[in-house]
Amino acid sequence: MSAAVQERAAGPAAPKAGRAPARRAMARWACRLFRREWRRQAFILVLLTLAIAATTVGLGVASNASNLKADPTFGTANSIITLPGSDQGLAGDIAAIRHRFGTVEVVAHQPVPIPGSVSTVDLRDESPRGPFGHVTLRLDSGRYPTGPGEVAVTSTVAKDFGLHVGGVWRAGGRTLRIVGLVENPLDLLDQFGLVAPGQLNPPANVSILLDTDQQSLDSFRLPSGSDLTTGRRSAAPRVQVETFVLVLCTLGLLFVGLLAVAGFTVMAQRRLRALGMLGALGATDRHIRMVMLASGAAVGATAAVVGTIVGLVAWVAFAPTLRTIAEHRVDVFALPWWAIAAAMLLTFVTAVVAAWWPARASARVSIVAALSGRPPRPQPAHRFAALGGVLLVGGVFLLALADQRRPVFIISGTAAAAFGLLFLSPLAIRALAAAGGRSRISVRLALRDLARYQARAGAALGAVTLAVAVAATIAVSASAAQTPSVAGNLPADQLLVHLSSAVNDLQGVPALSASQRQSATRGVEQLASAIHARWVLPLDVAYAPGSGTLSPQPGGAGQEGAHPGAAGGAGGAGGGYPTPALAKVTRIGPGEEVSFVANLYVATPAVLHHFGIPVTQVAGTTDIISSRRDLSGLQVFYPGDQGGPNRASSGIAKPTIQEVAQLPNYTSDPGTLLTSKALRTLGLQPIQAAWLIETGEPLTPTQIQTARNAAAAAGLYVETRNMQASLGALRTWSTAAGILLALGVLGLTVGLLRSETANDLRILAATGAGSGTRRALTGATAGALALLGALLGTAGAYAALLAWHHSDLSPLGHVPLVNLLLIVAGLPLLAAGAGWLLAGREPAMIARRPLD
Amino acid sequence: MTVLEMRDVSKVYGEGPAEVDALRDVSLTVDSGELVAVMGPSGSGKSTLLTIAGSLEQPTRGDVLVGGSPLSGMSRDDRARLRRRSIGYVFQDFNLLVGLTAAENVSLPLELDGIHAGEARAAATAALDELGLGERASRYPDELSGGERQRVAIARAVVGDRHLLLADEPSGALDSANGEAVMRLIRAACRRGVAGVVVTHDAQLASWADRVVFLRDGRIVDQTAPLPGPESLLASSQNP
Repeated sequence: MSAAVQERAAGPAAPKAGRAPARRAMARWACRLFRREWRRQAFILVLLTLAIAATTVGLGVASNASNLKADPTFGTANSIITLPGSDQGLAGDIAAIRHRFGTVEVVAHQPVPIPGSVSTVDLRDESPRGPFGHVTLRLDSGRYPTGPGEVAVTSTVAKDFGLHVGGVWRAGGRTLRIVGLVENPLDLLDQFGLVAPGQLNPPANVSILLDTDQQSLDSFRLPSGSDLTTGRRSAAPRVQVETFVLVLCTLGLLFVGLLAVAGFTVMAQRRLRALGMLGALGATDRHIRMVMLASGAAVGATAAVVGTIVGLVAWVAFAPTLRTIAEHRVDVFALPWWAIAAAMLLTFVTAVVAAWWPARASARVSIVAALSGRPPRPQPAHRFAALGGVLLVGGVFLLALADQRRPVFIISGTAAAAFGLLFLSPLAIRALAAAGGRSRISVRLALRDLARYQARAGAALGAVTLAVAVAATIAVSASAAQTPSVAGNLPADQLLVHLSSAVNDLQGVPALSASQRQSATRGVEQLASAIHARWVLPLDVAYAPGSGTLSPQPGGAGQEGAHPGAAGGAGGAGGGYPTPALAKVTRIGPGEEVSFVANLYVATPAVLHHFGIPVTQVAGTTDIISSRRDLSGLQVFYPGDQGGPNRASSGIAKPTIQEVAQLPNYTSDPGTLLTSKALRTLGLQPIQAAWLIETGEPLTPTQIQTARNAAAAAGLYVETRNMQASLGALRTWSTAAGILLALGVLGLTVGLLRSETANDLRILAATGAGSGTRRALTGATAGALALLGALLGTAGAYAALLAWHHSDLSPLGHVPLVNLLLIVAGLPLLAAGAGWLLAGREPAMIARRPLD
Repeated sequence: MTVLEMRDVSKVYGEGPAEVDALRDVSLTVDSGELVAVMGPSGSGKSTLLTIAGSLEQPTRGDVLVGGSPLSGMSRDDRARLRRRSIGYVFQDFNLLVGLTAAENVSLPLELDGIHAGEARAAATAALDELGLGERASRYPDELSGGERQRVAIARAVVGDRHLLLADEPSGALDSANGEAVMRLIRAACRRGVAGVVVTHDAQLASWADRVVFLRDGRIVDQTAPLPGPESLLASSQNP
């Protein structure tokens, strides 16, 4: 080498006081590193991008899963008054309501039976330009009805009745010309026919939409003196959804923040020598912090922009699926833009704040230690643990105080509990490292490295814990939500064939002759064959052959189709034989109010065998077996000979109820059964009343229509699932997504952690360790982090859920064992296995140390 | 003029049984234009002496004065400012920032000190020109050879009005020819009035120094006498 020594040029002028040049120099270096080392920073960038993209999609789903601005029934009104069509002073009452409350909207209704089905279609008299209800109407084709004899129907009604625009519909004694296809965009399951205002006369009932307060509604009296049936739109769903969005944001950003802290800590460690050199050159602590903060800003800004774009594209792609799940129109652009903008801003801020912690730690490292690349000494774990314990307890307490409805408490409680779990991570890592002190060298080294690099391992564990906690919360909540009221009437692949159309009106079981019963059975067999049923299960109810029949209830008449009883059965013209039901009976003065909770089928040997329940499993003293746990305090109500729900009840006041998990959970399924002991007590005997049919696959609209046609021909009535698709599948996918997210985080963070210990690998390789040791090292690191994350996350989830359900812990009795086993045992095993498999190849950095 | 003065400096690392005396009552002065070489076996405290002299570490006992200013009373920021303006460091493994070009690396201390980027860049380019690296000013460190990197590090250490140049094994990662060249550059800097302290294992490189200090177990066990200046020649001619 040759060096030309010349006279030194005069130095620059004395330094000026301004800090701008130093800031620019630091920012320039940080940005240059971001550009130059993008592969190294891609980890943080990708995670942040994915997190903000997921948050954007989540916000879209959360804000569109429910209708925030309007209600399928209320429209934009907040109250509803329902008047019976039989009200003699209906016109006067409506005028009085209009006079008292100002702007109101009158909607008249008339049910039209669907042949062969227990469901009805609502023939609706409503203006498409109504002040409140216009949001519940949308014209899909044709035009709205404008005059007498015109109707627009929903596509489902058109299919059920075989209608088309220009055709004719004979509904409830009227002949109507189809002029258009309409829908309720807020509830696509709403089946109705729309007639022009004033054309439904007389209606079955009238609903009046209005905006008023509860007090005014309570104080109002109808001039006719009739009872007023009122309803108010609950504000709860809106609050809950917004709260959910905010909690989602909080958790998402916390998750992002933890990942970013782990990533920036690794980055700070990689740059430690360079930062030490900066200090040696005269950089102040502020300058050193600025380098890391500038890196955070560059990563955060890039991730916020790219992630939001990716999220929006994913949301547009997912929106049609959500429409199918939620069964209402989803406006792709109806997004909480404020929340998305806030999430972008917070992503940027989160990245900067996440960079601040390692920046602060790096600036505090002595220059000599930094120059030698020694990581900062870990903080004592017990201090973090104490703080974590306080935060976790405080968070759980806040969640309990939130009472499932106070957003501030919910968000602060969730954040505090999540931070609490994070701060417990270092102690958990230390404990595991201590516990593994006598294990084989590769495992011991892996666990010690986790404790040695506590800052990044703790942050990574925090992220894994959070992902697991979210997955466990969803799994446990999904299990807790598997109650009949939430599950719906029937699963999508089952239908019930009834002898009577009045399923829930307590009209008893029709009294049929033997030949009629044979005819009905043949009809069911033909129906089952037509829809390719997998099995048919006859269901019996209990009755007393010698008892009188019930009086027909309103609504039971007028059903179309050939009723088997109408052909000449004993009770065909009126009500059927009374049957017992499970009810809550409340004494009010001299009388009593009866609220029916569940239908009671009989636990016949065939039903027990079908659900895999040995007869010996049913105790001799049991009156009722049920899959439900919420039946305590109820009684078996039997109208008996005197019949009628308003009469004094007879039955079993305090039945012995035995829980049997094998029974189904849906409200119309035979999930609650009367035992032979109860039959003896009541002096009843079984009689066939329905058939449960399963197809194996969710019923298609064609199958349902086929079943209805077959049922109508046989004088039977079909019941199918009457609510939107179960969110159970969504929850299952969420659980799987949570586990996958945790695994993804594990994979990436373990990769980072192991890359930081390349020197160890180099030494191990030099001492003769082969790929087996390398595999064990990586597998142990991944497995240990996954195990700690699974345990902490599940424990944290249960702590939060216990606080959430503190007033009624019974929903938590349904423990999703499979899901929890998958999380607690499957996740660590999967992580360890994946780490072991993927660590076989010798990394290039073992051979050469990269230039710092 | 004395640029660096260390008075009875001691440095203890660790506590209790792990306590290690890295330096014990070391006193050393380095004048402007003087180049002092520090030699000694591994663990003798050479690098510790250099880091304490450069204000990178605080002594456990004793005083350190740079340009007459005691370091003990300075805040972290004051010491950082002193390093930016008065002290230049050269490390064995170059320690250049990989994201910055050679010129940007050299101008970095000036920019940190608040000098405008253009002005600082001009000074850096001039410093690189002096060391024969003007044409490599826009190259990144990983595009330079080892010798070139060390020359950039020297340029960064002398740019501005630095009074004290501290070099820790500056030729340790270089071959002998490049090592000699580096020492020549440091020597040249000292000729311009910079006080230099060089830690080295190599006796041949130490011969470039005006004075050699020997350390063992944290103590100065020997040092060569300063070379007689021109005044001594006059004195000897007056007293034959």
